[in-house]
Amino acid sequence: MTKSIIQKEKYPPGDFAIWLVIYVELITFGLMFVGYAFSRRADVALFNHSQLALNQTSGFIDTLILITGSYFVVKAVNAVKVASGSAIKPANILASKWLGAAIVFGVMFLINKLLEFSAIFAQGINLSTNKFFMFYLLLTMFHFMHVTLGTIILFNIRRRTRGENGYSVDDTRGIETGAVYWHLVDLLWIVLFPLIYIIR
Amino acid sequence: MIGKSEIIWIVLIIFTIFAYLLGKLELISSALVGALLVTTFIKGELIIDYFMGMKNIAFVYRIIPILWLVVIVSSIAFAYYS
Repeated sequence: MTKSIIQKEKYPPGDFAIWLVIYVELITFGLMFVGYAFSRRADVALFNHSQLALNQTSGFIDTLILITGSYFVVKAVNAVKVASGSAIKPANILASKWLGAAIVFGVMFLINKLLEFSAIFAQGINLSTNKFFMFYLLLTMFHFMHVTLGTIILFNIRRRTRGENGYSVDDTRGIETGAVYWHLVDLLWIVLFPLIYIIR
Repeated sequence: MIGKSEIIWIVLIIFTIFAYLLGKLELISSALVGALLVTTFIKGELIIDYFMGMKNIAFVYRIIPILWLVVIVSSIAFAYYS
């Protein structure tokens, strides 16, 4: 038992494969973030002017939604990772509620983003408008796809918490794997929001 | 009950409000971009350590996302100030 606890602390939570995905995602988004920052340096006036078309309040709401959704996921994982014996069922019911709330927030993010995109497209803006909007649309749409996938993953994790074979202290890998992916989506947005919406 | 997760969430929300107000009230300046990037780094670090659960993980794994954050935030700062 002691040995298994030590081993758990030695390795990141969740399946090792998800960490390979996370590292690849970090590199991909990282290159785009740095690409944006240096492209902006080459034409500050264009980037500052184009940024005025963005809705900062929408970006702010997106950030609040993702941070709060991540908090709900943390609560879900915490609920099951100490559950054993007769506590497994109630812990999974609790985790199911937290995950349900996180899914609702994920959907809220997607709806808010679609509204933001439709307002941008209504102004006749597209990928080829200029370099700022190319980065903005590329980054936010790519991130949008990740939130969509993250929400689907949360939905699948939640299905197991509602079944007979729920998560417990001895079996948290599945829920932790989905959780770290969701937090990755949050981490990426934490950098994206000030970079694209605020810094000028 | 206020636990560690709640405190982290509150700090993340406060830093997010700070970022939003800088933009919304047009307070953003060279000095405040530095402050904004510092708070962005702290937010990312909190998510990596406490939400992703890397705080008590072997250094070799924990350092990878932290290094990513250092490189990205430093690069953004360099591009802005240089």
